[in-house]
Amino acid sequence: MKKLVVPAKLENLDKASDFITRGGKSLGFDEKKLSQIKLAAEEVIVNIINYAYPKGEGEIEISYSQRDDGAFKIEIIDRGIPFDPLSLPDPDVGASLEERKIGGLGIYLVRRVMDEMNYKREDGKNVLTLVKNP
Amino acid sequence: MEPKFTVTFSEGVAKIELSGRLDATNAPLLQEELKKLIGQDVKRLVFFAKDLEYISSAGLRVIIFAKQKIGVDAQVYLVGAGENVLNVIKMSGLDNFMVITDSYSE
Repeated sequence: MKKLVVPAKLENLDKASDFITRGGKSLGFDEKKLSQIKLAAEEVIVNIINYAYPKGEGEIEISYSQRDDGAFKIEIIDRGIPFDPLSLPDPDVGASLEERKIGGLGIYLVRRVMDEMNYKREDGKNVLTLVKNP
Repeated sequence: MEPKFTVTFSEGVAKIELSGRLDATNAPLLQEELKKLIGQDVKRLVFFAKDLEYISSAGLRVIIFAKQKIGVDAQVYLVGAGENVLNVIKMSGLDNFMVITDSYSE
């Protein structure tokens, strides 16, 4: 298992998403899947940067490993306010541009590009697990 | 960070040249740039995406913003987008509301 801890600031977005993407690459995921992993990583990390710590600063803890079935498992943890992204309703992707609401699109994309997405609140932490199958 | 886009406007057509990536790190900069067009009579919003390698929801929101705040009656074009970008556009359903082409002529 590899692990990275960075302050939840936008300037660390590249570092954090590169860490995850490089992990996928080391496991042999192809370019298409790597771009999907990069997208999912960014969406989740940006959410934490923007919303997890409204009253101050905090950290993002990222780790990944390969499951026995070959899948790439990413765990992203913050100690911010409780937030279950799975509780968000899907945006209306059939709505026209004029009618579009702004929220929810990022997490929706994560759901579309990853094979599993799980959330738990544990010991004051938001623990989000993403899985990409080989 | 170097801006990865240019915005020009003439005769009702706003042209937005994108390159590299459009994500949470630079989408707000593009949005600020596009705000300058508010109040203009924009008939077309043309996003040139041939050199755009990556877009995230932050980038999609700028396209939605442009349509809603700048050109409610404008037609949105997406020109030359590669597979990665197009896949994200399609997942979000925005492809139904824009003209997607390989090339653009006046």
